[in-house]
Amino acid sequence: MKQNNMLAMILAGGRGSRLHDLTNKVAKPAVSYGGKYRIIDFPLSNCANSGIDVVGVLTQYESILLNSYVAAGRRWGLDAKDSGVYVLPPREKADVDLNVYRGTADAISQNIDFIDTYSPEYLLVLSGDHIYKMNYAKILDYHKANNADATIAVIEVPMQEASRFGIMNTDETGQIVEFEEKPQQPKSNLASMGIYIFDWKILRKMLVADMKDPESSHDFGKDIIPSMLADNRKLCAYKFQGYWKDVGTIDSLWEANMDLLAKNNTLDLNDPSWKIYTEDTTELPHYVGTNAEIKGAYITQGCHIEGEVRNSVLFTGAKVGPSAKVIDSVLMPGAIVEDGAVVTRALVADNIRIGANAVVGSADSDHIELVAKRVKGEE
Amino acid sequence: MKALGIINFSGHHIRVEGMQDYRPIGAFSFLGRYRAIDFPISNMSNSGIDQIQVYVNQKPRSLAEHLGTGRHYNINSKRGKLQLLFSENGAENSLYDTDIAAYIENMECIEHSTCPYVVIAPSYMIYAQDFHDVIKTHIESGADISLLYHSVDNAKEAFLNCDVLNLNKQKGVLSIEKNRGTAKNRTIFMDTYVMKRELFIELVYKAKKLSSMYTLPQIINVECDELDVRGISHRGYFATITDLKSYFDANLALMDFKNVQSLFNEDWPIYTKTNDSCPTQYFDTADVKRSIVCNGCLIEGTVENSVIGRGCIIKKGAVVKNCVLLSETEVGEDVYLENQVVDKHARIIHAKEIIAQSEKPGYIRREDTI
Repeated sequence: MKQNNMLAMILAGGRGSRLHDLTNKVAKPAVSYGGKYRIIDFPLSNCANSGIDVVGVLTQYESILLNSYVAAGRRWGLDAKDSGVYVLPPREKADVDLNVYRGTADAISQNIDFIDTYSPEYLLVLSGDHIYKMNYAKILDYHKANNADATIAVIEVPMQEASRFGIMNTDETGQIVEFEEKPQQPKSNLASMGIYIFDWKILRKMLVADMKDPESSHDFGKDIIPSMLADNRKLCAYKFQGYWKDVGTIDSLWEANMDLLAKNNTLDLNDPSWKIYTEDTTELPHYVGTNAEIKGAYITQGCHIEGEVRNSVLFTGAKVGPSAKVIDSVLMPGAIVEDGAVVTRALVADNIRIGANAVVGSADSDHIELVAKRVKGEE
Repeated sequence: MKALGIINFSGHHIRVEGMQDYRPIGAFSFLGRYRAIDFPISNMSNSGIDQIQVYVNQKPRSLAEHLGTGRHYNINSKRGKLQLLFSENGAENSLYDTDIAAYIENMECIEHSTCPYVVIAPSYMIYAQDFHDVIKTHIESGADISLLYHSVDNAKEAFLNCDVLNLNKQKGVLSIEKNRGTAKNRTIFMDTYVMKRELFIELVYKAKKLSSMYTLPQIINVECDELDVRGISHRGYFATITDLKSYFDANLALMDFKNVQSLFNEDWPIYTKTNDSCPTQYFDTADVKRSIVCNGCLIEGTVENSVIGRGCIIKKGAVVKNCVLLSETEVGEDVYLENQVVDKHARIIHAKEIIAQSEKPGYIRREDTI
């Protein structure tokens, strides 16, 4: 709290059901991305790199892995004195019924006591399932310079896609005049990134009122932001420029991985001034065999490649056997493609084995094939 | 049985041209991701040894930075301890710069330990070994001292700076002497010892009394007749780093995946300090074969039979053949490199080709631009 008097809360309770089998056992923020990361490494690393010392992570759905993963705050350097990552699942309290988090705002409301122990001036609310690099100190500076009650990060999206997002309509000074959730006729293309800075005292009052409102769905987008606008509070939009992706589906998760193959891609995970931190594994550097053929690939520790890899992303410990081909695909951690197997336009889930000479996916399919069960090969 | 782990530095008869000007051998990069000292420390940590002393006699900066609190070595952060003990005894004459002098200087730390045994291992040899097994064998044999050795069949041209054990048929050590390259088949002493801590302390004082030049192997050689000194054989990958050629060979031997499997084992992890580098990116023009590649690299060129350290850049048309590239080196467009050790941060961008013979690999200095 010494650096900027801002505490961060990451909403990480969502399932991400459109990711199908990938989120059967883990919440969406814990899904693997980019060879060695999990999605939640991005907001956590952003917090660490932005000088935020205390981060609460609100978990709910299938949270065993996520809870133990984020609790080790030292992975992101969030382990100094007065610093830490706190896992906050719903809990039983004196005089209150135990409730699951009924919405994004309710998740914060149920942890007012936690936030109060740090008495922050500002509260940063983040989503745990977006991939981007952002310096939150800059948005805080913007928030202070505008003397705003709340600041919401927005990104310009193509106008034809604007109806898929929560859209902020602003005046010429960047002040938000209207918020529309997935409007059919969007008036602007400024989409909310689900990143909010609030004046804690003001938000606290609103949350207390919201908790008592039986009509409320306890959601930031649907309830809190509209009632702040109705109260004539000053809400500002902070325009973010750079890579930002919400990976809701198998196709978009695949695509976000493929984005890393472009030369000078805008996410630039190789930037030493803004590293994304993650779990440290004891895997070896990757080994490339005598007959391997690698053209256009993103490959990490523990991989072993004897066959051909084209335009693909290989996660920790993925293996490609002799004469096997992996084309336009993503191999999640520990996935194994045995000798002679061919994988095309597919996303192979964690620790899945594709048997010898098996064929998975196809070059002209509309959608990416998710392989979440063992594929038997020729014996 | 609890043992105190001691990791020793290389004697002053060992000198790795170029590389050692910047750091002690223990801090040498190995396979890009590791440093040589990760192997003895991980061996100890995996064997349940959590009191570890690392001795260093020159340029401690890189080692201190790498070891940190020792947390990454999986040593219990409350009950365990990783100490870096710096000693500088060779100022007036390098002959004073012995392991014995370093032990004398830090004797307090050795005496304060409550472990009944010591395991001493070198920072300049690469191998995997369960010391728990070695201690068990040592205790069961009733020997006073057990020494680890590795049988080789190329002692005429390799391991020339190492000691050899002369063993009798019962694995009793008759003497320890320098490998003078006179025979092919020798049992190379791995500079690894197990004995009671009290005996160790006694030997250190005895050596000091006899001569300021004495080293631990020398005093044990003198005591071979009096004490029961036995050899224990090591199997699996074994390499020593005693000159540039052996450093080069130790890395490139692991381009054979069979050797990788003999050094690395899922149940015997080798720990190191993470650098949080992102994965490596291969572009369409990349052509990589029979190599080990670390994270954070950008590869557009050709790589063959080489170790590519963390964060290296290999441009289009470049060829890297039989090389060891340390981290964050750059090989410019159309540059041809063969049989080179390229030190950290070096950039080879103007030279067209740099070729050496594998019997005498070339060395390119740290931070150099060529």
